[in-house]
Amino acid sequence: MRVSTRAGLVALLLLWSLGPMLWQLYTSLRTPEALLASAGGLGGGWTLANYGAVLSGDPPFWRYLLNSTVVGALSTLLTLALAIPCAYALSRRGGLLRLLVGGGLLAAAVFPYVLLFLALLQVARQLGLANNLLALCLPYAGLQLPLAVLLLQAAFAELPPELEESALLEGFSLWQRLRWILLPLMGPAVVSTGLLVFLFSWNEFPIALTWISRSELLTLAPAMARIAGSSVYTVPYGAFAAATVLGSVPLLALLLLFQRQIVAGLTQGAIKG
Amino acid sequence: MSGLLLMAPALLLLLAVFVWPLLDYAWLSLQAQSVFTGLEQVPVGTLNWQRLLADGRFWQDAWQTLRFAVVSVALELVAGLAIALLLHQRWRGRGVARSLALLPWALPTTVMALGWRWIFNDPYGPINGLLQLLGLATVPFLAAPELAWLATVVADVWKTTPFVALLLLAGLQMIPHDLYEAFALEGGTPWQGLWRITVPLLRPYIFIVLLFRLAQALGVFDLIAVLTGGGPASSTESLAVYAYLNAMRFLDFGYSATVMLGMFLLLLAGAAALLLWRRHTEVRA
Amino acid sequence: MTNTSDPATATAKEHTTATSLRLEGLCRRIGGRPILDGITLEVAAGECLALLGPSGCGKSTVLRVIAGLDPCDGGRIVLDGRDITEQKPARRRVAMVFQSYALYPHLSVERNLSLGMELRGVAPEQRERELAAVLELLQLSALRRRRPAELSGGQRQRVALARALLRKPQLMLLDEPMSNLDAQLREELRPQLRAILCGGRAPAIYVTHDQQEAMGIADRIAVLEDGRLQQCGTPQELYHHPANLFVAGFIGRPQINLLPRADGTVVGIRPEHLKAVSSGGLPVRVLNREWHGASQLLLLESEQGPLRWTCDGNQALGDGLRLDWERRHEHRFQQASGERC
Repeated sequence: MRVSTRAGLVALLLLWSLGPMLWQLYTSLRTPEALLASAGGLGGGWTLANYGAVLSGDPPFWRYLLNSTVVGALSTLLTLALAIPCAYALSRRGGLLRLLVGGGLLAAAVFPYVLLFLALLQVARQLGLANNLLALCLPYAGLQLPLAVLLLQAAFAELPPELEESALLEGFSLWQRLRWILLPLMGPAVVSTGLLVFLFSWNEFPIALTWISRSELLTLAPAMARIAGSSVYTVPYGAFAAATVLGSVPLLALLLLFQRQIVAGLTQGAIKG
Repeated sequence: MSGLLLMAPALLLLLAVFVWPLLDYAWLSLQAQSVFTGLEQVPVGTLNWQRLLADGRFWQDAWQTLRFAVVSVALELVAGLAIALLLHQRWRGRGVARSLALLPWALPTTVMALGWRWIFNDPYGPINGLLQLLGLATVPFLAAPELAWLATVVADVWKTTPFVALLLLAGLQMIPHDLYEAFALEGGTPWQGLWRITVPLLRPYIFIVLLFRLAQALGVFDLIAVLTGGGPASSTESLAVYAYLNAMRFLDFGYSATVMLGMFLLLLAGAAALLLWRRHTEVRA
Repeated sequence: MTNTSDPATATAKEHTTATSLRLEGLCRRIGGRPILDGITLEVAAGECLALLGPSGCGKSTVLRVIAGLDPCDGGRIVLDGRDITEQKPARRRVAMVFQSYALYPHLSVERNLSLGMELRGVAPEQRERELAAVLELLQLSALRRRRPAELSGGQRQRVALARALLRKPQLMLLDEPMSNLDAQLREELRPQLRAILCGGRAPAIYVTHDQQEAMGIADRIAVLEDGRLQQCGTPQELYHHPANLFVAGFIGRPQINLLPRADGTVVGIRPEHLKAVSSGGLPVRVLNREWHGASQLLLLESEQGPLRWTCDGNQALGDGLRLDWERRHEHRFQQASGERC
């Protein structure tokens, strides 16, 4: 491919990927009058008021970000705590059980989980978990377990078996083998799996939407939907755009910091399949 | 046995989250539980299922969901492969470009659905702004049924193509470069190489991508709920949105469960068809 | 377990008496196929036994079953009078050097060596003392802060050996520990390894497919083929009195000449035992020759079949070459069973 052709294609790709986001950024910095006057105009009408409005709302926007972060972090920890032993045990087994559990996990991993929301909501109401931010971790961990176990299982299976056997003969207990030998070597896989779980929990919509109704407990995704459907943020879109920008920034940071691990995690998933 | 013990907590949570709901729906689909019953459960036999079979909106939504999924995933596959090929070549700044191209996938769907709503706005969105600059009439993207579903497709393609591209890129990296050199020495053109080497060797990756993406697209909820709310006139409504509305707006839990179980059965049939097709093509290949 | 001894006396014993290992009819099957078929062996304290055999003969499996890494499908393993057949690997007090060395890649040499002691609850001062001693013994002191990836193959092998020694095992198992090293290094390391393995309190089993290595390191050699023990004895016994055709063919390089006879037996004569004679004997023709410096190996053709002859490097060759051997160097085997007559 000629260099100029390629440069053109790359520019097109970046325009397509980043354009909508840059447009949000632009919109968020414009006054309502400027937006109504001319789409894409650059003269006059710049403002930070949209951000002020969003951040001084009730509750302030950073509250949603905080809620999402807390839920995401706890879900990630819970998922890893459950998935690591399960993946270890699965990787050390052969035969039918592994095949069956593996197949079941793959089916669950691709299952459109939105179908489950009603039953999960009923469970939450019966157990008094509705409007409990931390309780969201339970369905989130459950929903992400299949993918997490599959990824970690593949990582366990890649470690040379002699390493663990050697530790076994040295007298290490199961916990000691995991703590000192296996997990340190699986660092990258654990990090990338954790990141995928975190992204899911941060972005999850239908369950958070139905479990949480008190506005100060909302996570980011249902908060955005509520903003979209409410009249608190008046016409036109400056405040919406400021909200989308604020909602995107933490993830952009995460992605830029951990791009390599996220890519590795997805890639492993593909190879596994 | 200690192995089972290690798996037990995870498997229990999995049963609670994945298996229990389906059993619950099976029970609930045989009950009436709505405002008319005072939200109490009343056994009604197969009444919900009869209603489902005769429910034009359910089948309408099923068709719309299928159309959305097939068109989006097909576009994503083509665009994803093109992007993967571009990102697979060696050039300076490739790593940064990979990160940037991945951004849309990482953002919450609801966040960007809101963004797309603004982009498709009539008349203040940038597309319509451009049309106005050119002296053309504005287009009501989200208000016209025949355009609104295309808008949902565009937003979905934008959001998930990076995921497809990344998985296919992983596949491309598994193909030894020697193969292309050998093929070139035999006189093959790059275009022939794409069809004779790249695509056949990518087949397992394409299959995984199809599996993940079709399942996700058929369950589409977040995007439609925020971008169009299923409108106009439920022309973009997906089955998941319909099930949600039945439960949360019409408060008809028995029927909502029936809709979801019906959707699950359709998915199962689709998955079986996909597996059969895969086996069929494998036997031929 | 009828003869499991009281743990307290067992602990007392392991510091005072030397141990020995006995395998009684050890069996291992995978999917119904026998991998090990009734292996019976004894290794004395301070003895190094080499398990020798071609790849796939089951020799590594013997080690894994003894260590408890693979299950035992029949027979008993008796270590120091205790039946350990059903014991967990961690409790067997067995150390193993793996072919790949299995060094923990994320830990430095000293952490590789001390982590086990630490987790077994050895006091810090004693840990440091033992670590220093073993580093000294294996000339690793200068490398103690390096990671395994920064070591050469020979250095890695020494670290693996050091780790096994620090386990203070009652039995030492080595699975092809030198197969990843180049030939020259192997030869240099042999005496060193022999000095460490032989004469200690614990028996050692050394798995290899290289007969020179087995002869160079071990007191006795057990030859394994197809999951069965073919013969066990000193290198001299195996060389001079091979129990069957397989052992005869496997031990000794260049390979023994086997000449089938009409009476259903096979005569084996080693290439180095052939002599040129002026009359009588077997007339031969030279097909090929390899010059080895002090000696040369000739590939010959005779009316009884092809022959290998190791002869003096100065041996004159000619058309009328005739070969003979002394009857005392002759081995006779049954053709059908392969057993020695």
